[in-house]
Amino acid sequence: MDLSQYAELFLAESREHLSACNQLLLDWERNPASPEPVAGLFRAVHTIKGMAATMGYGRVADLSHRMENLLDHLRRSGRAPADEIIQLLFRATDALEKAVGLAVAGREREADLAVLAEIDRAALQAKPAPQPSGLARHFIEAPEAPEPPDSHNLPAAPPGSARLVHVVIRPEAPLKGGRAMLVVRKLQTLGTVHRVQPAAAAFESDDFDGRFLCELETARPAADIEAAVRSVGDVEGVTFGGGTDESQVSPAESVAGGGRTRHIRVDLRRLDTLMDLIGELVTERGRLNDVAARWVGQDPEIDEVAIQISRLSADLQNEIILARMTPVWQVFDRFPRLVRDVARQLDKQVSFRVEGKEIELDREILDALGDPLVHLLRNAVDHGIEPPAERKRHKKDPEGEIVLTAVRERSSVAISISDDGRGIDRAKILEKAKREGVVDPHVESLSDDQLLRVLARPGFSTAESVTSVSGRGVGIDVAMTRIRALGGSIEIRTEPGKGTAFVLRLPVTLAIVRALIAAVGQERYALPLTYVAETVEFGTVPLTTMEGRDAIVLRDRVVPLVDLRKLLGTNGGAPAPPPRRPVIVLEMGERRAGIVVDGMLSQQEIVVKGFDAPQGTLPVFSGATIMGDGVPALILDSAGLV
Amino acid sequence: MSHTVLVCDDAIFMRTMITDILAQAGFEVVGEAETGTQAVEKYRQLKPDLVTMDIVMPDMGGIDAVREIVKQDPDAKILMCSAMGQQALVVEAIQAGAKDFVVKPFQPSRVLEAVQRVLG
Repeated sequence: MDLSQYAELFLAESREHLSACNQLLLDWERNPASPEPVAGLFRAVHTIKGMAATMGYGRVADLSHRMENLLDHLRRSGRAPADEIIQLLFRATDALEKAVGLAVAGREREADLAVLAEIDRAALQAKPAPQPSGLARHFIEAPEAPEPPDSHNLPAAPPGSARLVHVVIRPEAPLKGGRAMLVVRKLQTLGTVHRVQPAAAAFESDDFDGRFLCELETARPAADIEAAVRSVGDVEGVTFGGGTDESQVSPAESVAGGGRTRHIRVDLRRLDTLMDLIGELVTERGRLNDVAARWVGQDPEIDEVAIQISRLSADLQNEIILARMTPVWQVFDRFPRLVRDVARQLDKQVSFRVEGKEIELDREILDALGDPLVHLLRNAVDHGIEPPAERKRHKKDPEGEIVLTAVRERSSVAISISDDGRGIDRAKILEKAKREGVVDPHVESLSDDQLLRVLARPGFSTAESVTSVSGRGVGIDVAMTRIRALGGSIEIRTEPGKGTAFVLRLPVTLAIVRALIAAVGQERYALPLTYVAETVEFGTVPLTTMEGRDAIVLRDRVVPLVDLRKLLGTNGGAPAPPPRRPVIVLEMGERRAGIVVDGMLSQQEIVVKGFDAPQGTLPVFSGATIMGDGVPALILDSAGLV
Repeated sequence: MSHTVLVCDDAIFMRTMITDILAQAGFEVVGEAETGTQAVEKYRQLKPDLVTMDIVMPDMGGIDAVREIVKQDPDAKILMCSAMGQQALVVEAIQAGAKDFVVKPFQPSRVLEAVQRVLG
């Protein structure tokens, strides 16, 4: 059997269980007297063990087996574990996670199993005092005197009388006690079993060697008895020989059932390919609509077909987008452990809460989001939350709080990381920024926006000392680049003494977005609707200036303008701009900008294609798309414009 | 007509593998259950010819599920899927009415032998 086909599934499912382990350990650490975490941990580790053994990953199976053993003892003891045990289990879970990854990569031998000795030692200490097992007692009474094993060559007893049946289970058979119990049950269908030797309770022991005797009262001939015993399987020898098949089992009626819901796992690459194909279909649909518009005079049916095709491809597109949607908990679930570890390392007290776990995002976006969130969470623990003593001095709860929230907005998802820590010291950042020449010397205070821009400069670090956790001058800039690449934005809010919040806004899906198609000169540009707040006409709203830039006043708010003609250097052969140019107002959280274009052509769905910007390209494009007529158009990056 | 099977295991990995082994041998897997409670419920709905039952599952374990199913249908044909070191649990499952067991890691041939024995 080719096992490699199951490796991906093994990895995915093991990771889910490992993530559950971390969560359960956190629960247990908080509430050591609770019986639920250990039961869940046992199940998770047990499942990993079974899967690993099936895959032939011996080291993973061994490690999980010993963890399972320890957990089993802890579960039975019913006592709250010492903190060292929980810390050991955290380390063991980490070791298991690494071993799983190495095993799937074909490098299982590199797995570090140093933690095994500790686990075994802890298991020995946790082992509860032996108790008589009562499992088999109620089933078969097993009296005293063992019949000598060589007594099996008895003459056939007359029908109706008791006879001894001596059975030997194959030495290589697994769980011989289970097999023996099946034999006993089988014999009970032939008559009355008066005695089993050794006692059936011995079957439950791993030391059981597979040899036992039954005293059976039956009218059936020896041949029937032997056949019955052998039908159980894995039987090496029975006292009586010969015989033909026998079965007590009557075939059941086969009834095929309805109402099944089945899940399958699909490689994400398949979905990507499907998405690309649908993307092309959407493009062709656009062409078809253009053609239909030209021909509809000759044959009105073409219009009908075009409409149907549009509807069907829209449905198809929705289905595939839904298939790619993944709840955020799949990435968020590892964060409680992360926050706890970082907090412990830094001697901080932090409670961590996640809200909106069920909010869904495109799998690709979600995957790319993991690292930026890790950076921001580490920062929150390291720079945000104060040490307990400092918090007490400021009359705050010594335990700080970090909240990670996901909220669905219009066509985007907002993810915020907020802490109730010390906040960012604007004056200090300003001073440092001036020293490094990042801001003009005459600037007196930093707005939230400016603050973020300063913090997000590569290499700009505010940490007074570099810790192993953060403060190496990477972090916000990396996070910002990643989020921008996904078509998203970052915003910061901070208040001295009260805390800091980072808000990330991301499109729900990457692959197909609704966009405004705007014209500038002879070119067309696509502007995703995700961040389009409204459009107004230049000249119908009051004009002003803001920090030396042109701006409009919109409902008492000043919105700076970006003239795409100027920005993109459109000139020369381009026709003169129309007298009344439209302004597209973009809104990203608190930030706004009005984009001045020559005209607005349409609103349509575009298929986003990544593109490698040639050097020197303005940083205002996030990708490209092919229009219905086959001509490419660049997609404007809202975050780069606002 | 091929025999119908209900596969009960909390790991998708295991369900996939068991389903593959059985499907290749011509069985029809008509349902899957992730917990003991689901197993009992699906058995009632689907009346399969055979049930494969993991021992350790959340919610209701495999052994309790065997008891419940056998209570509904004393002729139910249940094959336990166990792991090494679960001797006592396997013995208990058989007492509860399971007809046979296989031990992880599964070898397809041994699984099919056990299935044949159970179906008779």
